Amino acid sequence: MKRPVAVVGVGQTQHTSRRADVNIAGLVREAVDRALKDAGLDHKDIDAVVIGKAPDMLEGVMQPEQFLAGAVGAHMKPLLRVHTAGSVGASTALTAVTHVASGLYERVLTIAFEKQSEGNAMWALSPNMPFTPPLVAGAGGFFAPYCRAYIARTGCPPHIGPVVAANARANAGRNEYAHLREPMTVEDVMNSPVLWDPIRYLETCPSSDGAIALVISSAEKAKKGPRKPAWVKSGYSYAEAMWVPGRDQVSPSAGRICAKAVYDKAGITDPWNQIDTMEIYVPFAWFEPMWLENLGFCDVGEGWKIVDRGEQKFGARLPVNPSGGVLCTNPIGASGMLRLGEAALQVMGRAGAHQVEGAKTALGHAYGGGAQYFAMWIVSSEV
Amino acid sequence: MTNLRNVAVVGFAQLPVVARDEHRMSTEMLYPVVRQALAECKVERDDIDYQIAGSVDYMDGRPFGFVAALDVMGSWPARQDLHLEMDAAFCAYYAWVRMQAGECDTAIVVGHGKTSEGEPDRVLNLQLDPYYQAAIGLDPTSTAALQASAYMARTGVTDRDLASIAARNRAAGVRNADNQVRSAASADELMKTPWTVEPLRKGYLPPIGESATCMVLAAEGKARKLCDRPVWIQGVDHRSEMQTLGARDLSRSAGAQLAAQKALAMAGMKSASEADVVELYGATPVEELIVAEALGIEPNAAHPVINPSGGPLCGNPVMSTGLIRMGEIFRQLSGRAGERAVSGARRGIAHAAQGHCLQQNIVWVLGTERRWT
Amino acid sequence: MNEPPTEGIKYVDSKVYLPYDYVAGDSKVRYLQALKQKRILGSKCSKTGKVFVPPLVNSPESFAPCTELVEVADRGVVTTFCIVNIPVIGRNLEIPYVAASVALDGAAISIFALIQECKPEDVRMGMRVEAVWKPDGERQGDHEDIQYFRPTGEADAPQESYINRL
Repeated sequence: MKRPVAVVGVGQTQHTSRRADVNIAGLVREAVDRALKDAGLDHKDIDAVVIGKAPDMLEGVMQPEQFLAGAVGAHMKPLLRVHTAGSVGASTALTAVTHVASGLYERVLTIAFEKQSEGNAMWALSPNMPFTPPLVAGAGGFFAPYCRAYIARTGCPPHIGPVVAANARANAGRNEYAHLREPMTVEDVMNSPVLWDPIRYLETCPSSDGAIALVISSAEKAKKGPRKPAWVKSGYSYAEAMWVPGRDQVSPSAGRICAKAVYDKAGITDPWNQIDTMEIYVPFAWFEPMWLENLGFCDVGEGWKIVDRGEQKFGARLPVNPSGGVLCTNPIGASGMLRLGEAALQVMGRAGAHQVEGAKTALGHAYGGGAQYFAMWIVSSEV
Repeated sequence: MTNLRNVAVVGFAQLPVVARDEHRMSTEMLYPVVRQALAECKVERDDIDYQIAGSVDYMDGRPFGFVAALDVMGSWPARQDLHLEMDAAFCAYYAWVRMQAGECDTAIVVGHGKTSEGEPDRVLNLQLDPYYQAAIGLDPTSTAALQASAYMARTGVTDRDLASIAARNRAAGVRNADNQVRSAASADELMKTPWTVEPLRKGYLPPIGESATCMVLAAEGKARKLCDRPVWIQGVDHRSEMQTLGARDLSRSAGAQLAAQKALAMAGMKSASEADVVELYGATPVEELIVAEALGIEPNAAHPVINPSGGPLCGNPVMSTGLIRMGEIFRQLSGRAGERAVSGARRGIAHAAQGHCLQQNIVWVLGTERRWT
Repeated sequence: MNEPPTEGIKYVDSKVYLPYDYVAGDSKVRYLQALKQKRILGSKCSKTGKVFVPPLVNSPESFAPCTELVEVADRGVVTTFCIVNIPVIGRNLEIPYVAASVALDGAAISIFALIQECKPEDVRMGMRVEAVWKPDGERQGDHEDIQYFRPTGEADAPQESYINRL
């Protein structure tokens, strides 16, 4: 990055299964208005808009940023639309960061959303790819075999997934915007039906409507703002091919390579000790221990032990997903930016009831595709 | 204007535009152009820092259709990557921004999509807001016709004027082997074609076609290693207007005008007529006139030469068509334009657009010399 | 339609209808046609010799083109799997069923396939399986020519042989 960049405003919507009270523009505006207000800015202060969302089939509209341009204040401004599958919310935020880091833009508004209640999400996610037999319904069917492989490789015991899921709910109880907030016990999870063995119903993310917007700013402008910003120390987006023989889908190399790039740039040599909290993309509970390993917080095979020891709980050693994460809120296009935005809120000291005390350095992470796309950033309370 | 980093177009490859490629899927069409672009630059995939792709799920008829492109772009080991749900010309813009941020020195920009597999009129109807405009059943030809009517009412331009522009493009298109349509047609002949949506005749509209494209960009320091005659980016800007058709003056492109103003200012040019050659995205003769007006160039003057490639009328592969305008200027300024070369061309303008009635516009100013020294 | 509506319109219901006519691509076509003859074809990387099933135009690993189609066995190893309890749109499969990654002998990557003729709880990583084809005369040259895979009863494959072909 050529010059320092900060997050100066965060705004998100009330996430829920169906926002029947607003149309798509209304949903997006709720987040945009909140983000601008948070930053103490108006549309005229914004130089460009970068929007991201997942497959447009989820809403039955194509390139909706075109009809939303007016509503998001992009009229007569540069407008770009990013789409990198599940990681899109994160790669969108990083695209906005690069705009400001380049020196060409002072303030960029970045938005990620999904109003998937408007279409048929299950259909949109498991289409009949031509010439290929449809075999499983939903993303879980694709990932479940790799969760099984993780369990086989590491001897991960069967209660770990349920522990992750119950903990995520407990966290979401402290997040006023989260979709699923009702507490559940480990036993509740273990008693829920198995969808795609080994993934259970209560270990699966919901389908949510939601949006989030961030205002990304240059250092000079950030210092004029009303709040203490979150400084973006580093951020990268990587992707790898799918059909590479021997590709590890349990701990994909793109994730490891992206994490290394992000850590190196931010001067992190010991993630476990130098990062205070993280918001990582866990759509199915088993991914939590898998990502802890992939992200270098521990050795291979040790991720589930962190969960077993409760070290990733709120208030414990290294809280994971204090917002409740994707398991409790999943508007697909927005989820990646929710992770990055929540990480920013933590180091800004603005995460309310789910604030991790003293958080100064946080990791935001998202992935997408057949575990091929990875986008992450490190944010800090210090420039 | 502070000094920016000089970045050049150093390579461009495309498949000839065809009505339907019966032998390859969309991403399979992309593989040979990526190989060709890299081979022409005599560079290995590992030596390219960044990759970015433009395509649209609905054109592919597959959600996440773009993911398969990773496998044909050499994404192993994992690469720094992005995908935009936009024409590849906008992807080139973001690659340029990354170069300005010092995040990369070389990049490949690709466009892919098969228009023949779906029904573009139905697909592109979905770009409109679902409450009012899409519900009326507007397709891109109808919205272009609305714009054409508005323009003709304001300016008095006639059917024959449109036919002349189309005829000029058709004549030029004969010399471009990559075109789908490679036969000349006179204004009289084109005026006899039936109305598709009045005032747009069939003869004024591009055919449905597909292609795949790959452009290589390189920053100063690397550019000359990859290309004997790099074509330097001297200025660029892009703008989006709001979509609502009734809320805009459809007879003008305020967005293209503002983008041109900014791009020309960056390039240190007072007027677009200082360019020798212009490739603009006008899918219809009216769009060409509107964009020419927005750029501030005379549509029928001898200089600058407009659309020596034949323009989108002769080949309009969605998702690549904007990048091809840039690719054509690269060919013109680097001595690769063969029979259609504009002699002595040293500066060119490439314009691309997407969305109904020219909603989004990008303007590039390119030249044989570096802008900042 | 003479009276204005008394209630505001809250919802707009619209159906999206988009027909698509896909090109399979030459190598896919040959792959599908070969299924009619109970043959499974893959494409071979011109640089490394690795074989991809179904065929790809290039190796995503080496970036080199795949220039030949070669036959692989119709039997192989389950590398990993899941037991599915949700019905899939467009298919009539009895729940629960097993969806597995199967690495065919000779192929460098796995295909995703249905496992039947055994209890779901008996399926395991490393289990050797073979294709069950539709009978002669019923095969059409499409992906349903292989109905499913079933255990062969052979000893499980050693972990090293499949752990890298997930």
